[in-house]
Amino acid sequence: MTEDTIRIEVTDGAAIPREKDKGLLSAWRLSFFGALAVIAYLLITRPDPYLRVLKFVPDGILVTFEVTVSAIFFALILGLITGLGRISQNKYVNLVASTYVEVVRGIPLLVQLFYVYYALGRFVNVPHMIAAVTAMSVCYGAYMGEVFRAGIMSISKGQTEAARSLGFNRGQTMFLVILPQAWRTILPPVGNEFIALLKDTSLVSILAVADILRRGREFASESFYYFETYTMIALIYLVITLILSKGVSHMEKRLSHYV
Amino acid sequence: MSDAPIITIRNIYKFFGPLKALDNVTLDIRSGEKVVIIGPSGSGKSTLLRSINRLEEIDQGSIVVDGFDLNDRTNDINAIRQELGMVFQSFNLFPHKTVLENLTLAPIKLKKIPKAEAEATAMKLLDRVGIKEKATVYPSRLSGGQQQRVAIARALAMNPKIMLFDEPTSALDPEMIGEVLDVMKSLARDGMTMVVVTHEMGFAREVADRVIFMDAGQIIESGTPEHFFKAPEHDRTKLFLSQIL
Repeated sequence: MTEDTIRIEVTDGAAIPREKDKGLLSAWRLSFFGALAVIAYLLITRPDPYLRVLKFVPDGILVTFEVTVSAIFFALILGLITGLGRISQNKYVNLVASTYVEVVRGIPLLVQLFYVYYALGRFVNVPHMIAAVTAMSVCYGAYMGEVFRAGIMSISKGQTEAARSLGFNRGQTMFLVILPQAWRTILPPVGNEFIALLKDTSLVSILAVADILRRGREFASESFYYFETYTMIALIYLVITLILSKGVSHMEKRLSHYV
Repeated sequence: MSDAPIITIRNIYKFFGPLKALDNVTLDIRSGEKVVIIGPSGSGKSTLLRSINRLEEIDQGSIVVDGFDLNDRTNDINAIRQELGMVFQSFNLFPHKTVLENLTLAPIKLKKIPKAEAEATAMKLLDRVGIKEKATVYPSRLSGGQQQRVAIARALAMNPKIMLFDEPTSALDPEMIGEVLDVMKSLARDGMTMVVVTHEMGFAREVADRVIFMDAGQIIESGTPEHFFKAPEHDRTKLFLSQIL
């Protein structure tokens, strides 16, 4: 692939509002402040049940973040290992890494969650929180592996040659020269995966993990305020992902200081 | 200049698919010698240079650098490379490091030199290449000529015995070529062993102890600059010189 190749950025995370993309930036502002305004309006005009929903879900927000942060942590480690494996000159290492990516990407996340919790549950009793984090990490590790691979490949061969010619070995070259630069390319997609992962954690509510969605379901099934509850839940997710996408765009800007 | 060769290249071959990039090349380079390699593009001159620090692996033959056989896998190639500074056509400075950090990274990490000492040495080298005032900026803020001078200083920071230059001025705007050549000339005056692939005939004439002309992966002719520019023997050499001079 040449550098001129047009890249089509499709993401399952969130659109990152970059300074240059005025349209998207305006859309971000509209969505963000719109969502806040709607929440405020609902809370003021109908505190019952909206305020009750809002008081009921914060535990869930915490759990959602717990799952997201732990899963992204392990996914990053897995992703780095996988990415390095995918570019390895050792064909066995390469095969193992590539097969992991192929297999995991070919199975829906929901099925993976069921598999870890229910299917493997026949052999080992995995607590639901650990099952949730494991399945999410393994799944996102594969996606992250591709992100790392692309990021590493985006750094010119001359950088490796310069480092090797100074006497750095492969590992030092990777960790001192290539990865610090690749990180800039990697960060936006990693941020996106983080957001995608956060949204996908709503799936773990099926394993009885008390995340935002699960808490919402509990509230709705007790109070029968389905419309009101899920409106609030949707708005909460929206505000969180919008804040995160803005955060990613800020980090991107800070990381490009040397360009 | 001592008589014992510091680089011994014996009957080396390198293939890129069906293409013979190096075709039975034999060459000795003595310590302190300045060797300039010239030739048309695709003649194998860069491949030859890059094989000296094993950025290019040869398919046959042997290369011995400062007593270390590059074919011998028990030798630590990374240790050998510390003796061989290399300067690239495209500079290849580390863009995420400041100029100073570009110079200190390898000495600190590889030679375990204390940071303050490495920085002091680096500043001396930057002063030498005339770019001390840019120590704290990132390479992207520098002109091509400045970047290449930093790249030379970065290679020198490891205190190598030999410097390899791979078309160091080919990517530069004409007005910046002089400043880079000046640095290389001063290095030559200080007695550094230098192997230079270049199209700068003026540099070859002024600095080289020996000029080597390559074509189609072979060394066609080798001699002093006088011999070379006044009385070349081979037709291919004459043709090449007539085209570029």
